[in-house]
Amino acid sequence: MKNPHTWRYLTMQFLLAFFGFSLLAQIIRIQNSAEAKVILAESGKYEGREVIYYPSRGEIYDRRGHLLAGNQTVYEVGLDLNIMNDLDPSELPAFQNNIALTAQLYLGMTYNQAIDKMSNPPPNAVYIVLADYVPAEKADELIKLRDSMSSNPVGQNLNGMHFKEHLHRSYPEYSLASNVIGIVPPQDEQGHSGVEEKHNSLLAGTPIKIWVPSNPNQAQELLNLPAGANLILTILRELQAATEEILDAAVTDSGAEAGTVVVMDPKTGEILAMATSPRPNMNDYAHYGDTLSSEHPLNPAISKDYEPGSVFKIFTMAAALDKGVVKPEDTYWDHGIIIFGGVPIHNWNNTTWGQQDMTGCLQHSINTCLVWVASQLGNYNFYSYMQKFGIGHTTGIDLAGEAPGQLKLPGDELWHPVELGTNAFGQGLSATPIQMVMAASAIANDGRMVYPHVLYGSVQDGQQYNTSPMVIGSPISAATAHTLSEMLTISLEEEGSKALVPGYRLAGKTGTAQISPYGANDATNASFIGWGPVDDPKFMVYVWLEKPRTSIWGSEVAAPVFKQVVERLVVLLGIPPDNVRLQLAGQ
Amino acid sequence: MNEVSQFVQKYRQASWRVQLQWLVLFIAGLVVIAMVAGLRLSVSIRAVQAGREIQSFKGEILNNQRMNANLASQLAALTSTQAMEPRARALGFQPVDPAQITYVVVTGYTPQKDILLAPPRTQPAAAIILPEYTQSLFEWFIDLIQSNPPASGWQP
Repeated sequence: MKNPHTWRYLTMQFLLAFFGFSLLAQIIRIQNSAEAKVILAESGKYEGREVIYYPSRGEIYDRRGHLLAGNQTVYEVGLDLNIMNDLDPSELPAFQNNIALTAQLYLGMTYNQAIDKMSNPPPNAVYIVLADYVPAEKADELIKLRDSMSSNPVGQNLNGMHFKEHLHRSYPEYSLASNVIGIVPPQDEQGHSGVEEKHNSLLAGTPIKIWVPSNPNQAQELLNLPAGANLILTILRELQAATEEILDAAVTDSGAEAGTVVVMDPKTGEILAMATSPRPNMNDYAHYGDTLSSEHPLNPAISKDYEPGSVFKIFTMAAALDKGVVKPEDTYWDHGIIIFGGVPIHNWNNTTWGQQDMTGCLQHSINTCLVWVASQLGNYNFYSYMQKFGIGHTTGIDLAGEAPGQLKLPGDELWHPVELGTNAFGQGLSATPIQMVMAASAIANDGRMVYPHVLYGSVQDGQQYNTSPMVIGSPISAATAHTLSEMLTISLEEEGSKALVPGYRLAGKTGTAQISPYGANDATNASFIGWGPVDDPKFMVYVWLEKPRTSIWGSEVAAPVFKQVVERLVVLLGIPPDNVRLQLAGQ
Repeated sequence: MNEVSQFVQKYRQASWRVQLQWLVLFIAGLVVIAMVAGLRLSVSIRAVQAGREIQSFKGEILNNQRMNANLASQLAALTSTQAMEPRARALGFQPVDPAQITYVVVTGYTPQKDILLAPPRTQPAAAIILPEYTQSLFEWFIDLIQSNPPASGWQP
């Protein structure tokens, strides 16, 4: 029998199904509407947050593992504005007054600065930073103070003050090797100058941006952030300290404006010490720039070129000996003056030395003799050799801010024929101390010129990668290098130089370059370059004093600095006197 | 036809029995669902707890690393040349004069080497985790076949 109410059931089923499908259609429509996309985007803000993780900056060590640059905990001190906003308006002045007084006492801010920060926070801010890079000692005191006052009434407590710790660069040796290391200023976290800038990417590591979800189910998405690479420098801390001490005293005693000493291993190019005076304390960033100017850059050893004067004569002589245009026993008759390129050139003290062999020319630093030697070489040969020595080009040392120096070549607009003569004794061109040391390494190292570097190695991912010594050219032959070294040794010994160190055979050359030939004063650059032991060189020392006053001569003020440095370094490097060394080698 | 319906009616279960069976089946279903849900909840809770613990340990590691860095800097400051030299001088030490040094040969003495903060670069170490823990069933099967080549007569 047919149910008479079937049509009702069917109608109801149809209506319910239609309603169901309508709901489904509406859900799909809403899910795909433009508003839904906006809502989804808005809700995404609450699903988590994006955080940039910065790895801790790699440390810097000297070649014996002493820490030269590390990291230290500092604090960001901030204020929770919700606590301030919840206060009764009558309580606000007392609250702000208390915070401002505390900030003035502990955070190095003025009272008004603190009040201004609290009164004018950024729109919608719930937290403001009062001060950052607060030393741990100060922050610890402040935390104890806040905790002890927490139950006091408003205006007498520091509730709402927050402390967030993080690492910042610290230099446990203060100003030691500051010219080499460089600095990481607060608020920046990027290396500036020296190793800190040159190897910034290695030291800083790679910051990683990650999404931290609010969903605790996804809490396993954690970050394993490798720290920046640790660097080991070729610098020997004790030698650096001794060199700086000697240089500081020399600058003071001679009345010089500034001074630079570079100590390098001429066989490997490793910089063992690189001292400048004055130099800044890297932990005192507020006064970091006090000693610096365009005249006195952070590291003059690489970034300040100057006319080196007579120390440059060793390269002229090296070129002439190597080319075969002169021999050590060749003689030159000095009349105290030589006309070259139509210009009269005199000796440094306007004296006449008469007949001299090439060793005598170096010993007495006879300008006219070296002009004659350069003339024997000719323009092409002289400048070819100077370019082979790397003069006029950067050495590529692994420090930021190297200057190329200047070497005018025949054909250049500013080059004049007399330049060959003046260049022969180190005037009319400019070079940095590191260029001079690199070029001279060819003379000390059997004709092989080495790449100067300060990076001994780096430690990354648990492994140490050491820098290999690199020969970057052979401008002269080994025979020429030996001959010239012997000539320079004899010239020092016969001169009775103040650079001589008892027990050690050393080769060297002084230099005195007038800074302002047309000026009224006698300001000079006094220099000395030397190395030893001559038969097996272990060190090369370059000394440069800017505008010394007690004496303008390199032989008077720079040579003694060389001697003092060598006396300390032979002990620190364990180099016995020659007779002992040869005796021990024979055993 | 009538006989058939009588037969069916005779052996049909009582309606209360059918209802009870459905009820039991429904409750059993609920229990199964509750058990699965409970298990999932338990696993989720443990996963979240482990995640939070890992986060906490990670924070502790970072904190320890920070403290280590801080202590290393403090130690370096205490043993810096600026700190040590005055102490040494106060104790009566002075920089040695090269002329005062006596050099002797010490058999077997190895002079101080320069710093080695980490092992030098080497070939990557062999994997510590055995392949059994990482390979799929298919990979294991392929390995098995390759390690036990078929008897002679087969051609690859």
